[in-house]
Amino acid sequence: MRAIYLIARREYLSYVATWGFWLSLASVPLFMLIGASIPALVQSAQPVRHYVVIDETDRGLDAVIQASIERERREQTRAALEAAAAVSADTATRERALAAFDADPLGLGGLDDALDILGMQGSADMIAAGTGRMIRLEAPARTLDELRPYLLGERQVATPDGPRSLFAAIFISQEAGSDLPLINYYSTSVTEQSLSGAARRALRDHVREQALAARGLDPAEIRELSSLEPEMRNFNPATVDDSEVGAADWAPFIVAVVLAIMLWTAIFSVANMLLTSLIEEKGGKIIELLLSTVRVRDLLIGKLLGVAAVSFTLFAVWGLIGTTLMLIAGTFLQGIDPEIAGFIAEAVQPGLFLAALGYFLVGYLMYGAIFLALGSLCETLHDAQTLMSPLILVLMLPLMILVFAMRSIDSVAVQIVSWVPIWTPFIMIARLPSDPPLWEIAGTTAVMLLTLIVVLWGAASVFQQGALGHANADSVKRVFSRKKPVRDEE
Amino acid sequence: MTTPALDVTGLTKTFSGFPAVRDVSFTVPAGSITGFLGPNGAGKTTTLRMALGIIRPDAGSATLFGQPPTLRALDRVGFLPEERGVYRKMTAEQVIALFARLKGVPAVEARKRAAAALERFGLAASAGKKVKELSKGMAQKVQIIAAIIHEPDFIILDEPFSGLDPVNQAMLEDVILEQAAAGRTILFSTHVMAQAERICDRIVLMARGQKIFDGKVDEALAVVPRLVTIGVDSDDDISALLSGFGEVTRAEKDADGVTLWQIALKPGVDPQHVLRACVEAGVRLTRFEPVRPHLHDAFVRLVSAGDPLQPVEGQ
Repeated sequence: MRAIYLIARREYLSYVATWGFWLSLASVPLFMLIGASIPALVQSAQPVRHYVVIDETDRGLDAVIQASIERERREQTRAALEAAAAVSADTATRERALAAFDADPLGLGGLDDALDILGMQGSADMIAAGTGRMIRLEAPARTLDELRPYLLGERQVATPDGPRSLFAAIFISQEAGSDLPLINYYSTSVTEQSLSGAARRALRDHVREQALAARGLDPAEIRELSSLEPEMRNFNPATVDDSEVGAADWAPFIVAVVLAIMLWTAIFSVANMLLTSLIEEKGGKIIELLLSTVRVRDLLIGKLLGVAAVSFTLFAVWGLIGTTLMLIAGTFLQGIDPEIAGFIAEAVQPGLFLAALGYFLVGYLMYGAIFLALGSLCETLHDAQTLMSPLILVLMLPLMILVFAMRSIDSVAVQIVSWVPIWTPFIMIARLPSDPPLWEIAGTTAVMLLTLIVVLWGAASVFQQGALGHANADSVKRVFSRKKPVRDEE
Repeated sequence: MTTPALDVTGLTKTFSGFPAVRDVSFTVPAGSITGFLGPNGAGKTTTLRMALGIIRPDAGSATLFGQPPTLRALDRVGFLPEERGVYRKMTAEQVIALFARLKGVPAVEARKRAAAALERFGLAASAGKKVKELSKGMAQKVQIIAAIIHEPDFIILDEPFSGLDPVNQAMLEDVILEQAAAGRTILFSTHVMAQAERICDRIVLMARGQKIFDGKVDEALAVVPRLVTIGVDSDDDISALLSGFGEVTRAEKDADGVTLWQIALKPGVDPQHVLRACVEAGVRLTRFEPVRPHLHDAFVRLVSAGDPLQPVEGQ
């Protein structure tokens, strides 16, 4: 036990007592935060889009598009204002602020007054920026050929923000014999579809309203008809109180799949850490000195436990950061969007996290032992990579299964692969929220634990041979190629 | 009778059909300095690994202080392997303290001993430096300290002099003698016969996986005929006079024109008998030089006498 503790301690400190470890530990939540913020950052950093509409129908459709876009932007700004008010103000102040905003029912004229009431002066750009700005300009020309230089950036048009090139030109025509307008949209940006989508929605609603009006309906009736929508309610017969299924009920399933993927990533990364450290030790010729002091089994277990402790340190710190962030986010979102807050609350599944830790431990010990055994046969990382390639492919398979089976996690195929012991940790953790039968959980766990014992025993034997140079990467190749052995020992 | 520090009996090990060690038996008496000699590929390292329980023998057994090589027994052993290295990212003091603790020395005592040993070996200023920052010689000293920091009763050094410069070789030789003077048993393998001859009480000689000699250094030297070189101030043939003492050969004349004769003495013949015979026969001697045999000669003679090993059939 003394030797196992000392080897594990040394292994643990060799990672934890370095700046690199803490930097990489801090960098993961940081990168996750940056990753999560990217969509919002991209949205808020959207440039102002200047566009022109050439309405060849003379039905005032250019104004219809502009009004629709401004209405959508106003609605989005109002929603952002409402969210900001929910966090920072009491009910009365919130209502006063929204009333001030609604003083200009068609535009953003009331935004500054509303922000004054909320004490958020100067935040107008921040509130409105996220909704993106699209400004319609008077067209400098009427034909595509004439407008092309403006669209290609060769010429610029005067805008309230100074001379700019055109983001898009929308040509609206009407084919003979049809009342429906034809929209030809020109822009060098083929991926940005928000303006073309807005134009299509605006004219779709407009022609529908026109058609209904032509059938004698008044505007109020048209609005009523347009808002008609069936009510859909989802239930799960397994729930005791027959409550409706909401987004929160999805949380455990999503969390389980995310945990499975995290498990895979963690095991792969940590097993790689073990491999690198072993190759380094072999290169430094430390192994034999250790083996005269500790037994191979103790060395193997010590190394595995040391790096496992490193992983648990990572999980503990990330878990602490994650829990804190979720608690803050849950409290913050409770006032804004109770549904998201409920989702976050349901995502915290202590049982699932506990199972994930157990599966991590077994999976890590299995793959870690295999990596160590194979690593002991190699002199360089290059050798190791060659030998590891088939194992990495085997390790990739459950990840691929998870991706494809995400929507039918309880299919027969997934149930069968749960019994492959080296895949059990990843597949079963993803299946747990769908309540698989107890015998299946117990059975797969038993097979997995038995396999773990066999793998540890086999790995210790290979490790002993490899660590002392009695076997190497060529020995493995010989097993497959049936080459005659060569003498490699004094 | 004192329990030997190491007793190996019939040790045999085969790797992939090649016999690395074949039926090797010997004993390292407590308190002795034993040289474990043999050419490359003789099976020395494999024998030491089996003796320490690092690898399992195919046949035979080894005991340390009369016990199988368990971890408890190994705590009384300090081992410096041939393939050696230490954790390069740890400091010299940390490495030594780690190995002391692995051998059962309490943490505080381990650090205290590490500091004292570094001082004793002239490395006190480098105690806090990482091993990768040390010179090769300094790193080797750290390895040697790590092997003996737990004050073992039995020290096994596998090729300890290889890679060391003459200054550090002398230093290591002093360490070995110092440890032996403190009552510890030493077993070390080496190619440097001069050192083995200077330091060892006994030698075990291996060749081609087999033990070919085991005994005191003098006994090893006895297998080499003692030589006597005689210089004669005439062209007289004295071979008939001296042939009774051993094999007589006439060598070239030296630079002064003196005829040189060489006699490989028979076992038990004293060079003084040769001198007396020459004097009594009136031979005009200009030179009489008994040549002391060296371990190197014994080594070469014993090793060249052995049979090459053959692969084991069926493996």
